[in-house]
Amino acid sequence: MLITSIGQGLLWAPLVIGVFLTFRILDIPDLTTEGSFPLGAAVTVSAMIHGQSAIVASLLGFLAGCLAGWVTGMLDTKLKMPSLLAGILTMTGLYSINMHVMGKSNVPLLDQKVLTSYLPATWSVDLQTIVVGLGVTALVMAGLIWLFRTRLGLSLMATGNNAAMSAANGIYTDRMVILGYMVSNGCIALSGALIAQSNGFADIGMGIGTIVIGLASVLVGEIFLRGRQIWLRLAAMVLGAVIYRYLLTVAMGLGFPVDDLKILSAGILVIVICLPLLRNKLQTKQQLKRYLKQIGVDEHATTSSLKRQAPTEGLLSRDSK
Amino acid sequence: MAVIGNNGAGKSTLLNTIAGTLPVDAGELRLADHDVTHKPVAYRSRWLSRVFQDPKMGTAGELSVAENLTLAEHHTGSMSLRGYRRKGQTAAYRELLQPLNMGLEDRLTTQVKYLSGGQRQALSLLMATLSHPELLLLDEHTAALDPQTSHQVMALTQKIVTENQLTTLMITHKMSDALTYGNRLVMVQDGQIKLDVRGEEKQRIRQADLLGLFAD
Repeated sequence: MLITSIGQGLLWAPLVIGVFLTFRILDIPDLTTEGSFPLGAAVTVSAMIHGQSAIVASLLGFLAGCLAGWVTGMLDTKLKMPSLLAGILTMTGLYSINMHVMGKSNVPLLDQKVLTSYLPATWSVDLQTIVVGLGVTALVMAGLIWLFRTRLGLSLMATGNNAAMSAANGIYTDRMVILGYMVSNGCIALSGALIAQSNGFADIGMGIGTIVIGLASVLVGEIFLRGRQIWLRLAAMVLGAVIYRYLLTVAMGLGFPVDDLKILSAGILVIVICLPLLRNKLQTKQQLKRYLKQIGVDEHATTSSLKRQAPTEGLLSRDSK
Repeated sequence: MAVIGNNGAGKSTLLNTIAGTLPVDAGELRLADHDVTHKPVAYRSRWLSRVFQDPKMGTAGELSVAENLTLAEHHTGSMSLRGYRRKGQTAAYRELLQPLNMGLEDRLTTQVKYLSGGQRQALSLLMATLSHPELLLLDEHTAALDPQTSHQVMALTQKIVTENQLTTLMITHKMSDALTYGNRLVMVQDGQIKLDVRGEEKQRIRQADLLGLFAD
């Protein structure tokens, strides 16, 4: 069960990394995810049915995702729409586009060679999935680690952190935001391409709930692995994707029907948002207790009044800059 | 050049128009012989730097001191695909930060959000002057600091501006600062320039004279 989760988690990892890029680096919750994920699947499966190799088809899926990100980016920066609305618009429009790409709401792969078919047939499916997932994820991570070592990557981070300051230092922030959307949605679509190949079909509804999956995985990953270096933060995303898959597998093992997985996903997201808040609160309380003991003050007299002022920084808060 | 005026007089409008955050209704804006009337903020930054009133605005809090300095070093090439960490960079940055006397030279890898307001503003100031701009805009840049830090940052400003011979436009609420620093003083009221004195004439002006003008 764990092995399967690792394999599946690695296939989802590019999606989580994509969500991380917009959500953490650019500070934007990007709903395009729900459309670009099935777009990647649709484009890849269609390309494969039309005779393209799995590698070319997956690349096409990635590029299609970039294009979707570009649209959201233009809506956000050039037409000055709120980013949430921009994402919703692209996502809604993509539903029709995905239908046109696929022709019908569910397209199965027949005997086309998928990425795992390039591996020795004697290997088990789990091993094949892990190797393919690991390979693609490593590629994505290597590309991003390189990007964030360049001046361009630094500009990207600065834009997400403080747009006014970035512009004042000569960074064309609109271009950076658009680039961020493109890379992010490219990764998300790539994940869609991998999942479609793993499932053996592309489905119009496979994007539903992906933003919740992505956000939950980002937060789960950050609970387990914390750090400032970019490689560590990306590794946390991969770990988050795997752990999240494992949680879902465990839930299914407990007898939850497949239809209930979405509400479970939402529930997990709520929990992982609240956990760090509770932890912060607890830590502040303990620190205060220790401090008061040190200076020899009767804690009961003061904690109740001080407790209320103890700062708890929200995970999703934007004002922690 | 120091600009003073009461609230709503148009000081910030003037500054924001020059910086490019406010569009121009009429007229032309030239910076170092370039027409920048309708150019974006990032384009103008080749000739222009700005220190904001809020210490948090001038620096990227999530990034380290060194990374912030890298961003400020060159106002072009922000899309470059070359690595941004270079040999000898740390030593060079330490040397830059030393004269600030704020202990920043030992905190190159610290995220800027953990610095104090004074440290952040001093860093902003250093960053703004690092690219040797043709024009430096100071937007009440000491208003959010306590009196002592404010004084310290003001002295630092004076030092950097004179050393680098920078053309500077400073907006301030403090009449004493406007009188002490700079060789030209402009007073704005209701969107119009009410007083424009420079050189020796400026030296002769006293706080009481300004107060009289404010009252009109």
